[in-house]
Order: sequence, then C-alpha cells, then structure tokens
Amino acid sequence: MSHDRKVRRYMDYSLFFTVIFLLLFGLIMVYSASSYESSLKFDDSAFYLKNQAKATALGFITVLIVSRINYHVFQKPALPIYLMSLFLVFLVLTPLGVTKNGARRWLDVGISVQPAEIAKVGVILLFAACLSKYGKKLSATLPGFIISMIVAGIPAGMVLIITSNLSSAIIIFGIAMVMIFVCSPKTLPFVLLALLAVGAAVLLVYMVMNGIIPEEVSYRMARIRAWLQPEAYASGTGYQTLQSLYSIGSGGIFGKGLGQSTQKLGFVPEAQNDMIFSIICEELGLFGAVAVMVMFIILIWRFVIIANNAPDQFGAFIVTGVMAHISIQVILNIAVVTNTIPNTGITLPFISYGGTSILFLLFEIGLCLSVSRSIEV
Amino acid sequence: MSLKKRRSKTARVLPKVGFDVKMQRKLVVLFLLVLLAFVCLSYRLFKLNRDKGADYKRQVMRQQMSASRAIPFRRGDILDRRGSKLAYSERVYNLVVDAKMTLSDEGEHLEPTMEAISKCFPEVNTIEIRDYINKNPASRYKVFAKHLPYDEIEPFKKMQKNGVPKKGVSKNDSDREMLNGVWFEEDYERKYPGNTLACDLIGFVQGDNTGFFGLEEFYNDILNGTDGREYGFMNEDRIMEDSIKPAVDGYTIVSTIDTNIQSIVEKHVAKFMAAHKDEFRMGAAAENIGVIVMNPNNGEIYAMAGYPVFDLNDPTNMDNIDLTGLIPDTPSENSVIMLESEDGTPSDNVAMRRVDPLTAVKNRIWRNYCISDSYEPGSVMKPFTVAGALDAGKITGNETYQCNGYLEVGGYNIHCHNRLGDGLLTVQQGVAKSCNVVLMNIAFATGKEEWLRYNRIFNFGFKTNIDLAGETNASELTFNESMGLTDLAVSSFGQGFNVTMIQMAAGFSALINGGYYYQPRVVFEIRNSEGAIVEERPPRVYKQVISESTSEKMREYLRSVVMSDPHECTGWSARPAGYTEGGKTGTAEKAPRTKNNYLISFMGYIPAEDPEVLCYVVIDTPNTQVQSESTRLATRLNRDIMTEVLPYLNIFPTEAITEEEAAELMEKENEFYENSSYYGISINMVPEEGEEGGEGAEGAADGEPGAEEILVISEGVTGNTENAVEPEPPKDSAGNPIVNNVIQYDQATGYPLDPATGEVLDPVSLLPLNPENAEEEEYAPEEGE
Repeated sequence: MSHDRKVRRYMDYSLFFTVIFLLLFGLIMVYSASSYESSLKFDDSAFYLKNQAKATALGFITVLIVSRINYHVFQKPALPIYLMSLFLVFLVLTPLGVTKNGARRWLDVGISVQPAEIAKVGVILLFAACLSKYGKKLSATLPGFIISMIVAGIPAGMVLIITSNLSSAIIIFGIAMVMIFVCSPKTLPFVLLALLAVGAAVLLVYMVMNGIIPEEVSYRMARIRAWLQPEAYASGTGYQTLQSLYSIGSGGIFGKGLGQSTQKLGFVPEAQNDMIFSIICEELGLFGAVAVMVMFIILIWRFVIIANNAPDQFGAFIVTGVMAHISIQVILNIAVVTNTIPNTGITLPFISYGGTSILFLLFEIGLCLSVSRSIEV
Repeated sequence: MSLKKRRSKTARVLPKVGFDVKMQRKLVVLFLLVLLAFVCLSYRLFKLNRDKGADYKRQVMRQQMSASRAIPFRRGDILDRRGSKLAYSERVYNLVVDAKMTLSDEGEHLEPTMEAISKCFPEVNTIEIRDYINKNPASRYKVFAKHLPYDEIEPFKKMQKNGVPKKGVSKNDSDREMLNGVWFEEDYERKYPGNTLACDLIGFVQGDNTGFFGLEEFYNDILNGTDGREYGFMNEDRIMEDSIKPAVDGYTIVSTIDTNIQSIVEKHVAKFMAAHKDEFRMGAAAENIGVIVMNPNNGEIYAMAGYPVFDLNDPTNMDNIDLTGLIPDTPSENSVIMLESEDGTPSDNVAMRRVDPLTAVKNRIWRNYCISDSYEPGSVMKPFTVAGALDAGKITGNETYQCNGYLEVGGYNIHCHNRLGDGLLTVQQGVAKSCNVVLMNIAFATGKEEWLRYNRIFNFGFKTNIDLAGETNASELTFNESMGLTDLAVSSFGQGFNVTMIQMAAGFSALINGGYYYQPRVVFEIRNSEGAIVEERPPRVYKQVISESTSEKMREYLRSVVMSDPHECTGWSARPAGYTEGGKTGTAEKAPRTKNNYLISFMGYIPAEDPEVLCYVVIDTPNTQVQSESTRLATRLNRDIMTEVLPYLNIFPTEAITEEEAAELMEKENEFYENSSYYGISINMVPEEGEEGGEGAEGAADGEPGAEEILVISEGVTGNTENAVEPEPPKDSAGNPIVNNVIQYDQATGYPLDPATGEVLDPVSLLPLNPENAEEEEYAPEEGE
C-alpha cells in the first residue's frame, strides 16, 4: 500500500504550472486593461484586479482540494449535478436573476454566479459518466445519438433562450459533440454534420446579406452585418469589433509595451473582459499574442496526454470535456477579437475578468489534475 | 510519450481501461484541429498587422486627438505711435452645451441647469436649448451664446461650483443640485476703442481672425498666432492628466499713426463734409476726400483719412453712415455691374455680375481712398516736372518763358488757367503761379525720354509698397514710350495719367527732403505678446530721386507757391498763421471732360525751409457751383489741419502773427472745439468777408480756361470742340465776350483793362476793380489749370 501511495502522488505539474502562469498573466492583463475604466468608475484603479485576485485565490484553493479528491465521487451524482445546473439556469428567470450589461445571465446567491458555467461542468460530468458506461450505444447508434443530442440540447437551448447567451450554448453543445465524437467508433457522420453546420452558417450569412432575413428579427443579424463590414457600422454594432481591430493592428510585432495601450482608455469596451486579447495584442504585440496561444496549446496538449493515459474512461472523458471546453472557448474568443467570426460575448479562459468563469474553470482543472493523479506511474 | 509507455503497463495491471486506440487517435486529431485553428488565427493576426497596421495606428492616433481641445490664440494689438491701442483682442467666452452631460444621471441636472441659464443669461433662449437637447441627446458640443465677457459668466460659474439649493427643500447645504453639461469655451473678440477712428487704415477682422483691409489684412499673419491644444492623457498612476500646449499669441504691431493727429484730420474732414453738404446740388460735399499727414523725412504716416467713416466694431452696419451720394439714385443702372473689356464694350453676358448695391457701397466705404483710388493729379504734378528737368540738367532754373495764356501744341491751343497770359515768367514764377505754358515748355525742354525716366524714378506706375492692404499702382493708367507731344504737354501739369495719393505724398516728400525716396510706412515696430521687440522697421530709403541741390531749389520754388505775395501765387491761403509753408495746389479736370468735374488738391509742408510735416489734401468733385474755382477748399482744409497739428508736433511758429490772424486764430480755436461749421462761412458769407470777396462764387465768370482745352487734347478731337464744349466764353463787365490776347494791360499795375470800358480789371475774376476795396481785392488770386 505504501508503494501504491507513492505512485498515486503523481500529478501533472506541466498542466498545473501552465494554468498558474495563465492565471497570473491574466491578473496582470486585467489590471492593465481595467485600471483606467476602474479608476473612473470606482475611483480605484485596482477594483477589477482585487475582485479577480479574490476569485483566483478561491479558485486556487478549489484546485488544490478538487485535485486531491478522487474524481469518481462525481460519477454517481453526475445526473443530479446536471439537473441542478438546469434548475439554476431556470432560476435566472426568478427574482434571483441579475441583469448586467443589458443581459440577464447572473444569479445572485450572496455572490453572483453564471449558471451557464455550472451547466458546462454538469454536461461534462454527465457525458463522462454516461459515455464511460454506455459509450458505444450512445455514440454509434442513431437513437443513442439522438438521445445524446437531446441531453446536450436541453441545457444549451435553455442557456440560449433564458439567458440569450449564444456563445455559452455553443460551448455546451460543442463539449457534448466533441465527447461523443471521441467516443464514437465512426467518423464520417461527424464530418458530414460539421459540413452541414458550416453550410447552414454560410446560408444564414448569405440570407442576412441579401436581406432575406430582416434585421429586426434578431440583434444577431445586425452583428453578422457588422462582422462583414465593421467600418460601415463603426458607431453602432461594429464599434467594439472595430476598436478591437484598431488595437490589434496598432500593436505591431512587439507591441507598445505592457501597460502602454491607448485603446484601453475608453475606446475598447469590455477591455478587461471579452476584448482582453486585443489589449494583449496592442501591448505585447504579435509576439505576446502567439506566446499566449502557445501556452494554451501546451495546456491542451497536457489534456490529450492525461486523457489518453487516464486509468478509466470516466476520467478520460472528463479531461476530454474540459479540453473541449477550453479549446472551443479560446478559439471562439480569439476569432471574435480578430473579427474572424461575428461578435458574440465570450471570455478568454483564465485571462479575462470574471469570477464565476475562473472558479468553475479551476474546478475543471482540479478534476483533470485529480485524473492525472490517478495515473499510476 | 513516456506516459504512453506507462499506460500500456497500467492497462495490464488494472481491470478498468481508459481510451482505446481509436479514441486516442481521435483525441490527437482533435488536438491537431485545435492547433490548426490556432495557426489560422495567428496568421489572421499577422495579416491584420501587415495589411492594416499603419492604417489602424493612424486611426488610434486620430481617436486620441479627438479627445483634445483647441486653445485659441490671442490676436496681437495694433498700437499707435504713442502706444495707445487702436485695436486689441479681449477674452470672451462662448456658452457651450454638452447635451449628453445634461442628460446624465437620468437628466436630473437638466432642470436646474436650464433655470440657472435663464437666470444668468436672459438673452439665451432655454426653450431652444431644450429643443436641441431633445433632438440631439448624444451631442457633446453646441454653442448657444457667443462672446460673453467674464463678468457675465461669473455668476453662473459660481453656481456651477457651489451648486444651487434644491427647490422646496430647506436650505440645507448638502441638498444642492449640480449644474451639468454647460461649459465656457475661451475665445477672443476684436475691439476697436476708437470706433470709427482711422477705420480705413486699420481695417477690421471678420470670422476666424481674418483681417480685411488696412493693417488688419496686411499684417494678418503677424497679428495671428498659433492655436494651442489641451490633451487629456493618463499618467503612470492612471490619473487623467491635462497636458497643455499653450497657444502662441500673435505679435503686436506699433503703428506710426498718431491718434491725436488722426482725430484732428478726421474732425476737419467731417466738418468739411458737413459744411458743404447739399451746397450746390443735393448730395455729399464731395465725391471723395482723402487726407494724408506724414513725415517727409522718413516716410512715416501720421494720419490717413477718408469719408465716410464706419464703426470698426460693427463694420457691416451701415445705419449710422451718411450714404448720401453713395447709393445710386437709379438702382437699375448700378445694380448690374458690367465687366467691361479693354476696349470699353461689355464683354460676354456671362461676365455680367449682379452685385448687391449695398455690397458695392460697403466695399466703397471700407476701401482706403488714399491708397486704393487713382486719379489725375493736376498741378501738384508740376514740381515733379520741374525737378526732373532741373536734375537732368535740361533747364538751369534761370530760364524765362513767355506766357500768352496758351501754347499751341500739335495744332491745338493748350491754355493756361489765366487765359490772359502772365507774360514773361521765370521757372519759379511759373511754379508759383501754376502756369501751364511754362510747364509745357519745361517738359518739351526735358524731352519725352527724360520725362518718362523721371516719372518712373518718382515711382509713378509702381506701388509704393506701403504696408497697407489694397494699394493700387495705376500702372495701366500712366504714360509709356508711345506718348505723343500733346501727351507730354498735358502730363507736365498732371493731366492724362493717374496716380494714387500715397504715390504723390511719397514722391513729394522726396522732392523736398533732399531727394530721398522713403518707402511710406504705417508700422515701425513689431512686438511679441510679452512686449519684447521682435522686429524694428527703420525708415527705408528706396533711392535718391534728385540731387540735394535740386531738392533745395524745389523747396525754394514751392515756398514761393505759398509764401509769395498773394497776387503772385496760388497757395497763399494754405498757410497757417505764424508758419512758413511750401506746397503746391492742384485743380485737375476729371474725365469725362464734358462734365466739368474737378479734383482739387493741395500738398503742403511746414516749415518751408526744413520740412517736418507734410499734409496732402484731395477733394474729388467738390459740391460747389464752379469746382475749378474751389481749390481754396483744399488749401483751407490743409491750413486748418496744420494749424492744429503743428503745435501738437511741437513745431513752433517762426513768423510774426498779424492782429487779423490772431483774431482769426482765436475764432478758430473756439470753432474747433465747438465743432461748428467753420467752412461754411468762407463761401457763403462772401459779402461780409471782404478779405475773400474777390474769389468767391463770382469767380465763376471764367478765368479757368485750360480745363476745356485738355479735353480736346486728351481725346484727340479736333476743331469744333472748343465751341462745343466751352460752356461760356469769358465776358467783360459789359457782357461782351473777351477775346484772348486782345486785352490791353494797364501800364501801372499790369492788370488787364476792360476792352469795353477801359476799367482796370482784377486779373482773375475779370471784374472791375473797385477803388475803395482795391486793397482787399488784391488778395484774391485763383489758380487752376
């Protein structure tokens, strides 16, 4: 037993330190990006920094605790956690819901929490539990696949409809899709599905551009127009995107230097939040931006390693889900900031400001580390 | 990879299994997809920087700039030679409404702010402001009141600072409402403390510090500075800091103008215009009037005046200006100004311009007659002809010429103003009596080439480069090598070509100051906003036009124009009591000659021996019955101006003052200060003023024949013109026409005898000399062409 214990002490420090690096880097960037606005709004340039530091500290403790818990304790309550997250999303409609920046996405339970973040964890755990048990049935047969789609579709749909948070819905659905894809012995149907999705997106853009879908239907249609011609909507929908592009373009190869961004001085809205990557580009340049991306690649590579070496499929699927979550979110965020896709509110994991996001991301990292600890050397 | 190896070991040991190979592969494929996505995004970042980098950098800079604010510069002052302000810029404030700010905090500040505005600025319409805010809630900048002095905005600023007590709430200091969204933008307003003083000379400022006319236009760039800028930026402590690049204020110019002399001149001009208004016909006292007072020894202008004047503080307002004779009686005739081509025919109808008559009048009022208008100078030109001839050695000054009242040139008789002829005259007498025959002979002796050469030496046809906007050079209206003999004859006494007043004054200064042609100038110093001298403009000699000795001779001749026995000269009436004066009269017939319109003038300087001040008076078309007889209006205006200016310039009288003159001076002193119509007396009260009896309106009988003849010459019309044009042949007292050169002269006095009665006649008026007042009649010379 004592020998066993020694073996169990293994933990993926590469992952751990990469996350710590990203968190600290995130704190620096949040401070840099937010200090102007925060000193104007709160008369305290470190207001956002302090909040973020608290959440980070809390998250760090969470990581330490969760990484030491055997992740199997989450296998049985996966369904209740999933159902509870659905309930929490539903609660946003009740007076407990909080409106911030014009969107009703928060729950006020002493601290404000985004239920969508919990739903992501719920979906990861549920699919990990189900796929590890009935993997082939769910992913390789049509009825099983349909059931999986429904299970993934419910929280995604609820997040989209109740909190009108498209990006979180995409992430929730994307996590499920990735997990099913990995589980399934088949590949072709997924390729076809992906092509179908791309085709649908192209059709939608075409219809918006030709006025087949009137702009009044949804504000997202206007976003698509603004995405295609940000200059034409510079004073409205395209403002944020355009300012973000100005930041990126004015940064150059090595940037203006840490803290030297001028675009954060009231020009880029949500500079410490969704648009923090554009400030990174402006201050640290192409070099800094690529360095951050490399850090994420290392992180994701560690997930691949852990998942592929996990002692059981439950742990492997958890890591796969977390990897899907972080990959999708990073790609979407950078794509939005560079105006590669239409603007949708999405944060950059570990770096953007946001307490709930940090907390639940670190919970997921804790799970992954726990899985890595179970790997016997 | 090491883990993979370990994994195979684990798989063997544990019953539970992780991902199979297919899943692992799929996961790696996923990772590669993610990697691909990152590479694509990196490429996108790179492309953004490469393609749009420079453009976006500019955009970012531009955005930063828009957060800054311009600080206006202060336009420099215009000072007179003694340092008193002719023009200055006063700091004023514009009331700016920031609609977005007024609506901040759910618009709770809007109501008290509007109330405070209507309380502090009753002239501002708050309904208008509310309307604007409702329609443009996002507007950050709109000016609602301009040019408010500081004391007007002070109460509002105080309220802004301290807040106003809330309505209906007890006067608790903490319950104060803030005024939001109103701020005051600094600006400057141009002020002219002299109002109408030297208006043509100073010019005015319109719009965005753009000078129009006069000094304001000429020195526009020097008077203007550079706007400053206020930037907001973040310092290291993330505190918004203002960085101010201060405005560079404009330079102050110090003018040679003397406010006192200028007001003396303007007062007398105004008096003259008032006295002779509607005198002969309904209308202004003269079509134009101009006076230049300057220092002949360095070209400094002391004063320059025209009429009518306008208020520089409100230049477009014509309400208080006497526009008599300026607004055309028949609007249709003048409202369309035809742009005529060289040959005088109206050019294409495209070139027909509709000009608002009032605009034309405004431009007429704003322009400076002394530099912008050209005219035929008349006899004031004669000294130039003489000086040129002397300096070129073509005459010695000792010549004598026989004047029979006319000279036949090219088949035409060009007459002297004294048709009876003055007999044998020296050069000096010719100048003193303003004899055309003598001058024509001198011009012929000089020859066309030399005359033209000197004409150019005296700068006619060129600008004097006086530092005022709007100088004309009349170069198209001067003679060139193609001039004929008759042209030379008439040009000798100043007809047939055009000059400007400033050309005449500057050239005449050179004649009398030793031959040095100074650039006439209005500014002698430029200072920066702190008062330090940036540039000095010392007197600038262009050239020596005649020798010192010629100049000395000219002073002698010109002295005799004023200082000779009144009988022997034309300018005696210009002399202020107690001084010696030199000068020259001028009576030029205007084109078209048929209208019998004249431009009378007098150029005088004092003291005659060593000129210190020069005064040139031009009266264009005086409102008198016989304009050719009105030269005395110019000499008298000159005398009145000089009488007041000389003591002011500390030039002391050198001559004895007779009791008569003393009494007149006393009278004048009273009149000068009572602002009464001094000039009216001399003309209208001829019977009472025995002294001037001989030269009043009665002079109309004739004695001014030259004018009509000039028409003949200038237009080249032959034969019948004399009959056609001459309005009234000279008549003797019995009403019989006097035929030139058949008059017998009284042996004793040299005066002509009436052919009908044999009485001795006054040489000018041709009226019988009354033995009783013969003494006074002597003081009745008249002059002209």
